[in-house]
Amino acid sequence: MVESETLGETLQRRGFSRRSLLKFAIAMTSSLALPPSVAPLMAANLARARRRSVIWLSFQECTGCLETLLRSSSPTIDALIFDFISLDYQEALMAAAGTAAERTLREAVAANKGEYLLAIDGSIPTKDGGVYSLTGGRSNHDMLMEFAADAKAVLAIGTCAAYGGIPKAFPNPTGAVGVEDLVTDKPIVNIPGCPPVPEVLSGVLVHFISFGKLPDLDDRKRPLAYFGTTIHDQCYRRPFYDQGKFAKSFDDEGARQGWCLFELGCKGPITHNACASLKWNGGTSFPIESGHGCIGCSEPDFWDKGSFYTSLAGGSATGWRNAGLAAAVGIASGAAAALSSKLRAEPAKPRPENKP
Amino acid sequence: MTLLDFARGIGLQIAMLVLIVGLCWRFSAILLLRQRPQLALSRASLLGQIAGGAAMIFSRSVPRRSFRRRIGISILLSTIFHVGLFTIIFGGAPHILVIHQLIGLSWTNLPKGVVVIISGLTLAAMIAMLIRRIVHPVMRLLSTADDYLTWLFVFLPVVTGILLSGETIAGYETLLALHILSVEMMMIWLPFGKLMHGVLVIASRGTMGFNFARKGAAT
Amino acid sequence: MNANIKPPPPAAKTPDAGQVALAMQGFVSDFGPTAALALESCVHCGRCAEACQFYVQTNEAKYTPIHKIEPFKQAYEREVSPFAFAYRMLGLVPKVTGAELETWQSLIYDSCNMCGRCSLICPMGIDIADLVEQARHGMFEAGLAPPDYLGVLAEKEHATGSPFGLSVAKFQDMLHAIGAAHGVAMHVDEARADIVPTVSSIDLKTYPGSMAAIARILNHMGASWTFRTDGFDADNVSLTAGDRAGQRTTTLGIVRAAIACQAKTLLMPECGHSFTEMRWEAANAFGKELPFRVMQITEFLAEALSEGRIRVNKVHQKATYHDACQVSRRGGATAAPRAILKALGVELHELEDSGDEGWCCGGGGGVALINRAAPLRDKVFQIKRRQVEATGMDTVYTSCSGCRQTLDHGGKATQWNKSVASLLELVANNLKD
Repeated sequence: MVESETLGETLQRRGFSRRSLLKFAIAMTSSLALPPSVAPLMAANLARARRRSVIWLSFQECTGCLETLLRSSSPTIDALIFDFISLDYQEALMAAAGTAAERTLREAVAANKGEYLLAIDGSIPTKDGGVYSLTGGRSNHDMLMEFAADAKAVLAIGTCAAYGGIPKAFPNPTGAVGVEDLVTDKPIVNIPGCPPVPEVLSGVLVHFISFGKLPDLDDRKRPLAYFGTTIHDQCYRRPFYDQGKFAKSFDDEGARQGWCLFELGCKGPITHNACASLKWNGGTSFPIESGHGCIGCSEPDFWDKGSFYTSLAGGSATGWRNAGLAAAVGIASGAAAALSSKLRAEPAKPRPENKP
Repeated sequence: MTLLDFARGIGLQIAMLVLIVGLCWRFSAILLLRQRPQLALSRASLLGQIAGGAAMIFSRSVPRRSFRRRIGISILLSTIFHVGLFTIIFGGAPHILVIHQLIGLSWTNLPKGVVVIISGLTLAAMIAMLIRRIVHPVMRLLSTADDYLTWLFVFLPVVTGILLSGETIAGYETLLALHILSVEMMMIWLPFGKLMHGVLVIASRGTMGFNFARKGAAT
Repeated sequence: MNANIKPPPPAAKTPDAGQVALAMQGFVSDFGPTAALALESCVHCGRCAEACQFYVQTNEAKYTPIHKIEPFKQAYEREVSPFAFAYRMLGLVPKVTGAELETWQSLIYDSCNMCGRCSLICPMGIDIADLVEQARHGMFEAGLAPPDYLGVLAEKEHATGSPFGLSVAKFQDMLHAIGAAHGVAMHVDEARADIVPTVSSIDLKTYPGSMAAIARILNHMGASWTFRTDGFDADNVSLTAGDRAGQRTTTLGIVRAAIACQAKTLLMPECGHSFTEMRWEAANAFGKELPFRVMQITEFLAEALSEGRIRVNKVHQKATYHDACQVSRRGGATAAPRAILKALGVELHELEDSGDEGWCCGGGGGVALINRAAPLRDKVFQIKRRQVEATGMDTVYTSCSGCRQTLDHGGKATQWNKSVASLLELVANNLKD
């Protein structure tokens, strides 16, 4: 519902000063990789902003993305931001169910036509008429196409919504795809990760609320501010990588020293995300810091790139059983070539006179 | 599927298969040709001949005294290049990792800085060798497209490897994909061109050592 | 050279298609695994040129050893190599042409001694000298051996067993005449003997003293020995000309003669290629291991000296020594002449490049028998001249009549004041009772 109170008024009511808002704006401009001079403008815009309707549809998902976002322990103001967007529809969180929920959805769409943000988590099954994920008897595909049509923009939250994620992994029995494979006429922001870093969503929303548009995106439609660098680029263990100090097995001496996990399969170098800088649980830790290599969960098809424990230096598959066959083919061909050469080599005919 | 996925997946499979088929083909076609028996009384026992063959595999890398002056540059460049390349391949951490993932063996790697310096020397040697091949009258007479192509197929992995280890010019993923692809191109080329000498050298030196041991001829 | 032979003028026309076909067949018949491996392994490093006296003395890239067998390699790639069908189908290797063979005739014959220095330097272990020898088979069978006059001599040898066409009767006469002239008893065509020495035609004509020397030494030892005129001339010009059939005929003649008198030792003279042929190839022609030992004269003498079967006086000389390529580097008998020189008390001042690393005299492999190659030979001789003079010695000993003759000619052409002498004759002249 669009309410009349601005964020500035809400904050004042709850006892947060303008200074706090400015401090928050400074932190967010830094997080969004915007110049610091933008902070006062952001603060002013936020103060004037009104609640933006967000409709959240969950498709073929595990609910992990929602769970992680709920555990965002960003400063309190972040939670207020979530207060400040009007989360008009979210099946796991809302009290209503059944036909009441459906009515809520229709009303929210009608009231905010053309202005609401459509948040999607989970992939969309397309095989067999999308029968593998239905809400109230309707397929995810149909719901997506209907509600994207009236949205201002679509936020594909999590790798499943962005690129198809785990359901899409070989052999992809449900024909799972990401939002961008189906919605082509609306601005899309992909916020991948399995699950994504919660502060990334906050940053995207703040940007949208402050400036009325989505932040700069890369060629995979991910916010550049958070996905512009790889884990490798930001990883605190990078000095060990550069020095060639690698853990060779889990919990070995090197691992205990906090050495680089490249040899244990870390996909940090090819994974774009903010985990290494923003980290998880309010900056507590991230997989590498806990001793496990990055599995590349914010990249498309990460589940199909071979074992998490095979390093980037190695191939993603082994085909030894083919090697024997290849050797046999080679030897047979070589033998055939030698035989054909023998047959071509006729015995030397008697020489002619050695005349000038 | 990204370029890297292709390089690490299907690309590697294809390159491996072509390499194996090509190697086995070329080797068997050579070794299965009709062999003339050597019946003369040998100066060495069979074991002695085998030892002679094994010895020559190594001894031929060190030229005899009276040749050194005239082939000094060739030896210098060739040694820097080959030793450099093998040091990078068998001493560099990511390569040891590849081998470990392939066959389970691994050993301590060289410090990255050492590998970087050696890579630079190897690159310089390669460029010098190319220039020499183009400029020296004997090399110019002998050289064919095979020689230049082979140079390129070895040069690309060295160059892409250097760029990858410096993580410069392009993103890590792109550089890694290009490096792996360039190695795969080299693998595919190997059985068909002069690069095969890397494998043949053992057979040809070993054969000469074996045959010369029979005669007690100079090695 | 020999006044009895009038060499015909050199061939003037480009080989025709028939000749090209014969050459190709000849080439292809030689490709076994060793040759194939060799032809596959070349990396075009160019080091073989730096070992070759022809390149070193002329700086002409065409004398690069591996380049000399280019048509041979081409035939291999096109006909017999593992991917030959692809090379033919895609036109990656062109057919060998008559013009090519014409150009390469002088590279394969005139400018290669088959001395094996290239084989020694090759980092891939390619026996280039052996490839040249094999390439000559195809060339010969196409009628492309240089007629003036290697080809002519080969023809004579094939027909008569002697490159100069000498008959058995002539041999016998010459031997007895030499015996008389040198005051030494000759054993000729005896039915049974332990040792059968052979000679080189060069000795017959130019250095008869070396045959007398063999006789003198063997008599002194009280050995049971005989020359056999049915297996006498070991020169085997056919080998260097590339005539496989003639080579085989000549070789088997000698083998059978030795078997006929139940010899225990076949004694090869001061000569290079004859030793290579009888010691390392004769058994293959014969089809099984030979029933007698084959020794080069220096090996025989060194062994006899070390076993005390002959003794020599000390000569108190200083000299240098020139190794015959086929005996030392290629044949494994580098130590023998040095043992002999030591026994004789000769103070040996080795050449700068000596023993296995010595330079070829320039006459080996039939090059001495190609008249048009004389200027090239003279250029090559300069290396030997330089190195001998650097030792400061006045005498250079050798144990190959081919080398001796080539060095003599080179010396005469340049008014050289050094003397070239036979090690065998030195021994024969200094036997101690």
